[in-house]
Amino acid sequence: MRWPKGGVAICLGLLWLSLGLVSRAANDQQAREIVDRVARLFISQSSSATVDMQITKEDSQRKILMQFWSLGGSNILVRIRSPQEDAGTAILKVGNQTWCYLPKANRTVKMPASMLMTPWMGSDFTLNDLVKESSLTNDYVIATTFEGKRDGVEVTEYTLTPGRAAVVVWGKITLEIRQADQMPVRQRYYDEDGKLVRELSFSDYRTMSGRLIPTCLVMQSMDKGGKKAVEQTTITYENIVFDEPISDDTFSRRNLKP
Amino acid sequence: MSGRLLRLAWRNLWRNPRRTLIAMAAIGLGYAMLLFVACLMAGLRQQMIETGTDLLLSDVEVQAPGYYPERPIDQTLGGPNGTDVSALVATIAANPRVQAASPRVYGYGLVSAAHQSAGVQLLGVVPDQEPKITVLQTRMVKGSYLTGQMPKGIVMGDKLAATIGVEVGSEIVLLTTAADGSMGNDRYTVVGMFHTGLDAMDQGLVLMPLTSLQDLLRLPPGRIHEVGIKLHDHAAATTAAALEVQLSKDLPVQVHAWPELAPDLAGYVQFNRRITFILFFIFFLLAVMGIVNTMLMAIIERTHEFGMLMAVGMRPAQVVGLIVAEAASLAGASLVLGAVLGVPLLWYLQVHGLNVGGDRGAVSLAGVVVGPNWYGRQDFTAYAQAALGLAIAALVSALYPALRAARFRPTEALRKV
Repeated sequence: MRWPKGGVAICLGLLWLSLGLVSRAANDQQAREIVDRVARLFISQSSSATVDMQITKEDSQRKILMQFWSLGGSNILVRIRSPQEDAGTAILKVGNQTWCYLPKANRTVKMPASMLMTPWMGSDFTLNDLVKESSLTNDYVIATTFEGKRDGVEVTEYTLTPGRAAVVVWGKITLEIRQADQMPVRQRYYDEDGKLVRELSFSDYRTMSGRLIPTCLVMQSMDKGGKKAVEQTTITYENIVFDEPISDDTFSRRNLKP
Repeated sequence: MSGRLLRLAWRNLWRNPRRTLIAMAAIGLGYAMLLFVACLMAGLRQQMIETGTDLLLSDVEVQAPGYYPERPIDQTLGGPNGTDVSALVATIAANPRVQAASPRVYGYGLVSAAHQSAGVQLLGVVPDQEPKITVLQTRMVKGSYLTGQMPKGIVMGDKLAATIGVEVGSEIVLLTTAADGSMGNDRYTVVGMFHTGLDAMDQGLVLMPLTSLQDLLRLPPGRIHEVGIKLHDHAAATTAAALEVQLSKDLPVQVHAWPELAPDLAGYVQFNRRITFILFFIFFLLAVMGIVNTMLMAIIERTHEFGMLMAVGMRPAQVVGLIVAEAASLAGASLVLGAVLGVPLLWYLQVHGLNVGGDRGAVSLAGVVVGPNWYGRQDFTAYAQAALGLAIAALVSALYPALRAARFRPTEALRKV
């Protein structure tokens, strides 16, 4: 009569484990929804925006004015308005393919995927950061790692670690969200060794086109010592319009030339 | 006395010409073999250094401090204000050990043809100066090298051209991030293609006129990344150090010699030296065994003779002296024979080379292009070392039987036949 005893112990253990899994799953589900909502803050069936990108370097500053159009998440058009030397440059992404129109050469070139992952126009953003639909909730496992006050604001911190099958750049991402209105405050990117690589801060929360969004995003890269480098890139949304009809033609290669 | 001993030794050698000739053949052929190996290996080293430096790198590079190895686009010589390029090049060219110097600009970008794009390294050179420090213009397989008359003409590797599908005369677009962060872009025409046998170059390098690349990168004419230097010889390290001291008075610079710029290449050269040493040692052992064998036999054969000499009053020390003198003259004559055999061989290796590539043309070996012909190069230090080593081996191998012979008692020695 020895095995039933062991059997009971195992059953209890399984029960305890499965209860734990269920409660964690519930937690995960809620966290996932919140992270998903934050990741989709700027995403809509269609949107158009005027964005100001300011790049600060040790010895120089550059300001780029861009217009964005997006439709259905996978069609994106970016057009540069100023400065003079880049005005007219346009980038079109349809599905997995990206083209770039170069006004000086008066040619449209196809961009290889690798080009989308390098710093764009000397900024701290990659082109992917700007035009790729976020896949945070697909590629990462989400856990709640902090709840409480930080800098006088009640926040919840979620830590995202890549799922086993995900092909991602980051080893870990933390996302801080204000509890009051569930607006993002800070997003930190870590490499595979757990070293902080860059930090994205959100501010200037405003209602635009009926949606509360942070209109100022500051991306700060860390230098080799892990400290904040002088270089930073600020993106300011001057306006954004959600869900106004945009014609399919907008996202054609013909339309790349201004 | 010693003169008489030498004469006696020499006469002894030719009392049995066949035995002496066999010994001479052993030493002489050994020596010729060592000459052959040393010459080929020196040729390989030279070819390594030449393909490594002469194709693209040059012997010495003058750059702004901190530019190498990351080559950031904004770190030009003289900082953001640049420098007087022609004065700098003239100062460098005035150094007696410098054969020629030429300015360069580097960039990275996307080369884009009608249907395909590829990431490449962009190198801006002065079309009529660069050929004085590198030899890429001799590797053109289609079209021609850059000329000053075609500022929008570029040359690229043949594999790159095949990858993106362009021919000579095709138009391509270059896209890069310029020094000010803007997207530099323009149209160019492919005027030529080169083939070096090194994939890194054939697949990933676009060469263009310096001023055109400066335009593309929005760098003013005074801003260059480096001055490449060709020296009269390849002993670059000392010249680099001297140049750095000389130039630093007016301009913050860092001067790199090729072993620093191409540590892989320096490693291969070091590796080649070690392999040469090992090969040398093996051939040397073979030669020594031949010598020891013939010397030993020659002396044991003559036990009777030495007994006789001692019986008529020759002292043991004189016997040793006689044998050593014989060995020395034998070694000397053999080395002369080896040299006589070897010199035509060395001449042939240097002038014609060994064909190793066959029909396939050049062979790329660990980043080094060899062939189709493997040329030898004279390495007189190694030749002298080999000669000295063989002579010492001959003397030492004669010494043992000589000492044995000196200890013979004449009566016993005489009884042996």
